[in-house]
Amino acid sequence: MNNTGIPLKDPAVSAAAGDTEQLERAYIDASTRVPVLMFYTSAIAWLIVGTVLAMVVSFKLHSPDLLSGISFLTWGRLRPAHMNVMVYGWASMAGMGTAVWLMARLCRATLRFPLLLAAGAVFWNVGVLIGVGAILLGDSTGFQWLEFPRYVAVILFVAYTLMASWAVLMFRYRRGDQIYITQWYLLGAFLWFPWLYAAGQLMLFVVPVQGVLQSAVTWWYANNLLFLWFGAIALGTAYYMIPKVIGRPVYSYHLATIGFWTYALFSSWTGMTRLVDGPFPAWMITASIAATILTMIPVATVGLNHHLTMQGYFPLLRYSPTLRFTVFGAMSYTVFSVLGVLISFRSVASYVDFTQVSIAYSHLGLFAFFTMTIFGSMYYIVPRLVGREWRYGSLIKLHFWASAYGIGLMTLMLLAGGFLQGANLENPALPFSESIETVLPYLRGRSLAGILLTVSHFIFAYHFGLMLLGLGRTSTVPTFLNPVEAETSGGH
Amino acid sequence: MKGLAPLFLGIFGTFAFSWVGLTVIPNWQIGSLNPQSDEEGTEIYPRPQSGMFERGGHVYAANGCVYCHSQQVRADYIAADIERGWGNRRSAPRDYIFERPVFLGKMRMGQDLANIGARAPAPEESPAPAGAAASPAPAQAASPSSGTPPATAPAALPGTSPASAGSPNASPPPGQRTGVASPSPGQMANTTPGGSSPAAPSAQTPSAPWPIQTAGLPPMYSAAWHHVHLYAPRSINPDSNMPAYRFLYEKRRIAGERSAEALQLSGSDAPPQGWEVVPTYDAKCVVAYLMGLNQSHPLKEVRTVGGAPAPAASPATAVQGTSPSPAPAGAPAAPKK
Repeated sequence: MNNTGIPLKDPAVSAAAGDTEQLERAYIDASTRVPVLMFYTSAIAWLIVGTVLAMVVSFKLHSPDLLSGISFLTWGRLRPAHMNVMVYGWASMAGMGTAVWLMARLCRATLRFPLLLAAGAVFWNVGVLIGVGAILLGDSTGFQWLEFPRYVAVILFVAYTLMASWAVLMFRYRRGDQIYITQWYLLGAFLWFPWLYAAGQLMLFVVPVQGVLQSAVTWWYANNLLFLWFGAIALGTAYYMIPKVIGRPVYSYHLATIGFWTYALFSSWTGMTRLVDGPFPAWMITASIAATILTMIPVATVGLNHHLTMQGYFPLLRYSPTLRFTVFGAMSYTVFSVLGVLISFRSVASYVDFTQVSIAYSHLGLFAFFTMTIFGSMYYIVPRLVGREWRYGSLIKLHFWASAYGIGLMTLMLLAGGFLQGANLENPALPFSESIETVLPYLRGRSLAGILLTVSHFIFAYHFGLMLLGLGRTSTVPTFLNPVEAETSGGH
Repeated sequence: MKGLAPLFLGIFGTFAFSWVGLTVIPNWQIGSLNPQSDEEGTEIYPRPQSGMFERGGHVYAANGCVYCHSQQVRADYIAADIERGWGNRRSAPRDYIFERPVFLGKMRMGQDLANIGARAPAPEESPAPAGAAASPAPAQAASPSSGTPPATAPAALPGTSPASAGSPNASPPPGQRTGVASPSPGQMANTTPGGSSPAAPSAQTPSAPWPIQTAGLPPMYSAAWHHVHLYAPRSINPDSNMPAYRFLYEKRRIAGERSAEALQLSGSDAPPQGWEVVPTYDAKCVVAYLMGLNQSHPLKEVRTVGGAPAPAASPATAVQGTSPSPAPAGAPAAPKK
């Protein structure tokens, strides 16, 4: 299996402990090495591309003459390019990497024919590349979150089928009866994504629906992608990583079951909250608002479950990078969902409908919740694939704080700016330009936050590059954020 | 949990529930709306748009206008959209039946455009183009070279009002637009501060809404104005944060005489002597698209709120909102004269 030249962590170390399970795990990890590292590498490459795009987009919003005049650098093309790179390039690839690895681990099955999975990743990358190129060259479809032209959708779909069927097949060959919570979420995500994508493409391009329904389908797709694809992967990951790192089972399976099914049921109905007050039958919007309020049930159960699992183990956040990122992500899930409920109320929505608040909401979901959780899982998984430990604890710490402060500042700026913008928009005594003037300083603040996030992503990419080149530490002890004085319970 | 079947069924079921609930059922309900027509079938709204309009929509999509401009007017009891002069009634599903893609939009870093075409000044040819909302022809005709002596308008009188460009008599009596299918004249959201009355109190000008009719420029929201605005947004409003779309225009040496389409630019945006800036076909299409965006036609299913503030009845209030009373409320305004 070791055909990549990447040194595999020597299984003999664990075998000496007489633990065949360790050995088995090492083999499973080895089987996933090529595809998962490939997912991660391309995801991180896209992350860097998307971050650079994000910086330009953010600066251009308050300095409109920057780089203008060139068609493919115009703000209206860079913005969807950034969005699609992040959604389909970074988040989907990274999420799939983590999901495939977790699936193999939890099914206790080695991944068969990993190179085919890798081929899927190649196709996917090609699809995203062509798609982003098409957007920059002016071939966007104009549907938010689905800007990639149709021919790209076909490529992505083929690539996805290659990849996801693998994960589902793995599920078929699993050993053991018990299906762990993480597997529910991952199986759900792997099945929901193609259905969503197919339904979206079908209703927008193949048999296009009439008029405003196009918008309804777009936002139904977008919100479901956020919840049922990214959200499900992130929640599944958190359900694995938190108990794993602290070495303690999940507090309650019962709560987890309730959380999963209510999540699937309610969050899939929230799409129309993006169109409150729009030209739609009122019942559609009301149903979505009701569903959004009901998502508080999974938020409460998942949050409670994680909290009770963590209880007594919070000091570990000082040491374990995985735990720190994952817990940050899990907590952000609560913040994200609560904000989602608040801004869906009709009285609030009428103020924030058309403001930067919706940008804050998307970034809370995709960055603070999903991306941070995935960073956590990468800190756990990558050492097991390359057989080296992360080289610098200090870089991980920097990555964490730059990300945490970056997204925190960004959210605050966009929320504060957005609410003021909305208040001015709703005051007809003020000229329209006033609402823009109000929000501009906050957008500059957001650019500042963007610099922090850029720094954090470059640090992470550099660190990951070191790992990939085999320049990590050779050690049996994982890299901790802070030196461990006493004995630490559990791994990392 | 044991067993794959219940898990799979649950995953499929939740998805199907949401898909049916939020897309399939709405599709049954509002997925095949027809245009509205009156008894005689003469006033049909909306109508299919021109080819230029359609292409303009793609230019609009390609350049991401939707990320800053919405195209939906919310009801008067919900939001200030109508008071801002963005429309005289809320948008309804029927308004969009011929649009593809639909650009409802989620952001207002720029103004709402649902009725931007309705705000255009009256075309000079009095016979309004029946329903051919997109028809760019009359608008093009209104371009600088042919009409509107721009520089002559004193600065304090920004309202080189739409109608005044032609003969004053051609100024269409506002009352007539009640139920007129065409997106013709004056229009509800005539943001021109001075209104059409030359005697408009100049005191209003300082607090004029954005964007402001600048002296020396084509009448606001005319095709020529849109071209200047797209080419050099800050020449119209120095505070605008809209990017310039210069790549939609061509700067070329004047061969023979100056093209009638050439943009009327001033200051640093103006091309050097002997050069002119002309719109590409894409630029013409996107302007035709903008000129075609018009939801001012009444629909049976929604209440028309502001009526059509007659141009004479200080249209500025509709926008400035200095007096909160939303203009002559109620039915389409009766002619004031």
